[in-house]
Amino acid sequence: MSIINYASREIQFKIVYYGPALCGKTTNLSYIHQRINPLNRGDLVSLATATERTLFFDFLPLNAVVIKGFVTKFQLYTVPGQVIYNATRQLVLRSVDGIVFVADSQWEKMEENVESFKNLSDNLALQNMALDEVPCVLEYNKRDLPNIAPPNYMEYVLNNRKKRLQSFEVISSTGQNVFATLNAVSQVLLHKFSKHSQTPQREPLPVAIPVEPSAPETQRLPA
Amino acid sequence: MNAIPVLTIEDVATLDGVLGDFLKKTESDLTVVIDRGGNAISQCGNMDVMDVTVIAALAAGSFAATRELARRIGEVEFNALYHQGNGNHIFMNSVDDETIMITVFGSRTTVGLVRFYSTATAQNVAAVLKLLRRTSHGLSFDAKDISAAPVFVDHP
Repeated sequence: MSIINYASREIQFKIVYYGPALCGKTTNLSYIHQRINPLNRGDLVSLATATERTLFFDFLPLNAVVIKGFVTKFQLYTVPGQVIYNATRQLVLRSVDGIVFVADSQWEKMEENVESFKNLSDNLALQNMALDEVPCVLEYNKRDLPNIAPPNYMEYVLNNRKKRLQSFEVISSTGQNVFATLNAVSQVLLHKFSKHSQTPQREPLPVAIPVEPSAPETQRLPA
Repeated sequence: MNAIPVLTIEDVATLDGVLGDFLKKTESDLTVVIDRGGNAISQCGNMDVMDVTVIAALAAGSFAATRELARRIGEVEFNALYHQGNGNHIFMNSVDDETIMITVFGSRTTVGLVRFYSTATAQNVAAVLKLLRRTSHGLSFDAKDISAAPVFVDHP
């Protein structure tokens, strides 16, 4: 939970990038770190293995002046996506204020996306939080790859609920919509704490179930 | 609408007094009170030495990561952790269920002295925070106070 320090006129918020392994969470933070004004950011800290897989978390502190009279500090974290590191994900989620769920748009990753989203919901429940109560946006990443599901299918799989989340089509390697996603979660988060306020919302994408591409016919070996 | 817990100027002054006294007695460089999510609540000492935000995030992670280790030997968690360097060291101790205190110190003092005074300091900090949690009403904003412009800008 965020806290306000009236003496230094600072507010701190924690935003966690969550998603399955290799979906591009760290790439999001790296891009933000590269492109944001250096005066408004701290160091990008990565606790990774020798092969650059996130072991504990990545961490990037950012400053902004978005609320009259206060310096707002956003602390961006990623979680390790690999299934075995669930205890670490629970630790990183502690005191979370906002979530960006990063989904991998490739067809073959859809099951992992769903499992990770359920895992997020379960881990929030362990902290007595529900997904509906936490500011959250969806990021459909890797839109530049050839074998990807259309956005309305991603919506059907991950965002088919009464209160739908904002979602973005993103290419984190080139930075397309990375800042749009971060700005959206920041706005939802800030408006959660404001009186009589409606968060500015984009029109949600349509939900539809497209026909999956047919599997290539099995090649029969000659007898 | 939700409210954000507030540390008033008086709360900060009280915490600064407790932490300042601790630094003076132990001759440490810096002490930071953080919540277990990695947010810095209060800090005292030479802040130019390091980025307190990063220290808070890493220390919260380090403290949490040893919890499972503690459980394996029948403890709920370790009450204190000590990272020994060649010249500079970090001592961390639990304040309450939500809060940790981090102390950075060099060769002018010893871990024994830091450990000794940290216990009483943690109790004093816990008392202040307990009162704060009981009495704080929190703060929320008017929507017009929030800038509609993008919070973060992509600089090419």
